[in-house]
Amino acid sequence: MADHHISLSEDVRARIAELGNVDILVGIPSFNSARTIGHVVRAVEAGLSKYFPGSRSLLVNSDGGSTDGTTDVVRQAGVDFGSVLIAPQDGRFHKLVTPYHGIPGKGSAFRAVFEIARGLGVKACAVVDSDLRSITPEWMELLIKPVLEEGYDYVSPYYLRHKYDGTITNSIVYPLTRALYGKRIRQPIGGDFGFSGRLASFYLGKDVWETDVARFGIDIWMTTTAVANGFKVCQAFLGAKIHDAKDPGADLSAMLHQVVSAVVDLMEEYPDVWRKVAGSEPVPTFGFAYSVGLEPIHVNLDRMLEKFRLGVADLAVLYRSFLPPALLAFLTSLAEEPRDRFVFPDKEWAWTIFRFALACRRKVMSREHIIKSLTPLYLGKVASFVIETWDSAAEDVENRLEELCRTFEEEKPYLVERWDRQPRRSGSSRRSP
Amino acid sequence: MKSFIAKVLTEPLRSLVEKAAEYLPTVLAGLVVFLLGLLLAWLVKLLVVRIIKLLKIEGAFLRSGVTEALQRMAVKDTPAKLIGRMFYWLVVVIFFILSLSVMRIPVIDELLGRFLLYLPNIFVALVIMAIGIFLGNFLGRAVLIASVNAGLRLSGLLSKGVRTVILLFAAVMALEQLGIARSTVVVTFTILFGGVVLALALAFGLGGKELAASWLEKRLKKEGGGEDGDREDELHHL
Repeated sequence: MADHHISLSEDVRARIAELGNVDILVGIPSFNSARTIGHVVRAVEAGLSKYFPGSRSLLVNSDGGSTDGTTDVVRQAGVDFGSVLIAPQDGRFHKLVTPYHGIPGKGSAFRAVFEIARGLGVKACAVVDSDLRSITPEWMELLIKPVLEEGYDYVSPYYLRHKYDGTITNSIVYPLTRALYGKRIRQPIGGDFGFSGRLASFYLGKDVWETDVARFGIDIWMTTTAVANGFKVCQAFLGAKIHDAKDPGADLSAMLHQVVSAVVDLMEEYPDVWRKVAGSEPVPTFGFAYSVGLEPIHVNLDRMLEKFRLGVADLAVLYRSFLPPALLAFLTSLAEEPRDRFVFPDKEWAWTIFRFALACRRKVMSREHIIKSLTPLYLGKVASFVIETWDSAAEDVENRLEELCRTFEEEKPYLVERWDRQPRRSGSSRRSP
Repeated sequence: MKSFIAKVLTEPLRSLVEKAAEYLPTVLAGLVVFLLGLLLAWLVKLLVVRIIKLLKIEGAFLRSGVTEALQRMAVKDTPAKLIGRMFYWLVVVIFFILSLSVMRIPVIDELLGRFLLYLPNIFVALVIMAIGIFLGNFLGRAVLIASVNAGLRLSGLLSKGVRTVILLFAAVMALEQLGIARSTVVVTFTILFGGVVLALALAFGLGGKELAASWLEKRLKKEGGGEDGDREDELHHL
């Protein structure tokens, strides 16, 4: 395995040497998060003091060149221990603020955290986003204890979310990664994770730090790498995740491209792992799960359906090169259905996703074009799901998602059979079922 | 009488045969060169197709939309075969001219010189067209996907427009490179392009007046807390 070092600054190296060994490291990647990062730093310090009073711990802020004083906020943030009824750690808690090097992105920020973790020989690590509003000291316990006390290598977050939050996760990433790797990790692209020092070193050894993983896709990469390489995984119920939306107007198709592209990259890296997997198994979940009532939210179904219909009509010229005629005919007939009869069945959705993954694998055109052309179909599936579950409670929606996941698992042979077939010219692919 | 026949028939015939005998080796040499050229052209074609397959360039043609563009133009050959065929004919033409040159025909010598000087222009023009087709398809597709995702109804037209403009640009540049009616092509293109832009501007201005007004109206109403038919979704995709 290739071992890749990055150049940590002299100051950081000196600090590592000065600190010697540290038990727990918590990384916070940041970029212009001055408004929110103070709360995150305080929650981390309070959590480490409360739940790991005897351990030496380090908070690392890996910053991407913030210009709004983020790093100053990190240095100055401190917990009023008296008010939270927690005893301070008495010199056992340290902070390190460092800019990261390499391609700008969360992945490069994590890389610096992994590097420092390896240098300090830490036992357990956690990474949390800098824009979190809902983080509490308990998150530290939930993300780190499974590693320190239960021997897990990777702790995935399990947030309490609205039934229509995370629709890309619910309709694509969760069903697909669960069917591929056989582990029921509910939110594989959560953003806040716990992991062992051993796994941090393993991540560092992977030759991905000059790829898209460094820019985006680090979340699904960490989860899949841990699962595919046989590390012991679990998930922790963290409650609600409320955070500042960095870019509320972010383009949906760009988001879809980043996430799906990362999943396909991993499919190409681990075909020997996922081909053998059939079905799935639950992973242990820590934390005290609860649910709250659902607040009504606004969903513009008409616009979603309009975009689906427009996509099926205008992008058919592209779809023909990688979707089989039967599936294309189904989509065309679905586009003619009125809203009250609009149902995108799970089986056809699973086939659609598998076909898009195969098209990326066979490089029938630019990957960005393939995945971005999935946007209207994805909106169609989301619209169908919303229509079907509009009056359902959160638990019923979760059961409905369970059905979708089972369909992905049942239809997985469809993908496995076709994965290694030679790329065909568009004319010949039309004949395949 | 005998001397007359010898003067009128035998002498010219002998002279003709002598000249033919003198020229025959040159003709044969020319023929051999041409046949060798045919053989070499066939080998070059095979080699080019094999190299394209070995380097897996076909996938790049597929991804870049060149294969699709050829299919749309009813070309049955794959791009690899087409390139092989182009090389075949290039070698054949070169050897045909060479064979004529071996036969030492002065006019052909001059033509050959001119042709060889002109060859780089043909090559550059072909490269320009290839880049034009690639860019036209790629950007046309990008525009199609982006406009569909933005919910624009005229996505197909927009995409075709972008592709056509790029292909037109490439064609004008290629023709200019070949030196074919240079000034006419540039002037025609400038007039056409200017006309199209003006027509589009007028069409947007006149046709889109009401659309812009209604859009602004909706926007202002929304900002003022009015009707919510066009409200943004509150669901989070990630």
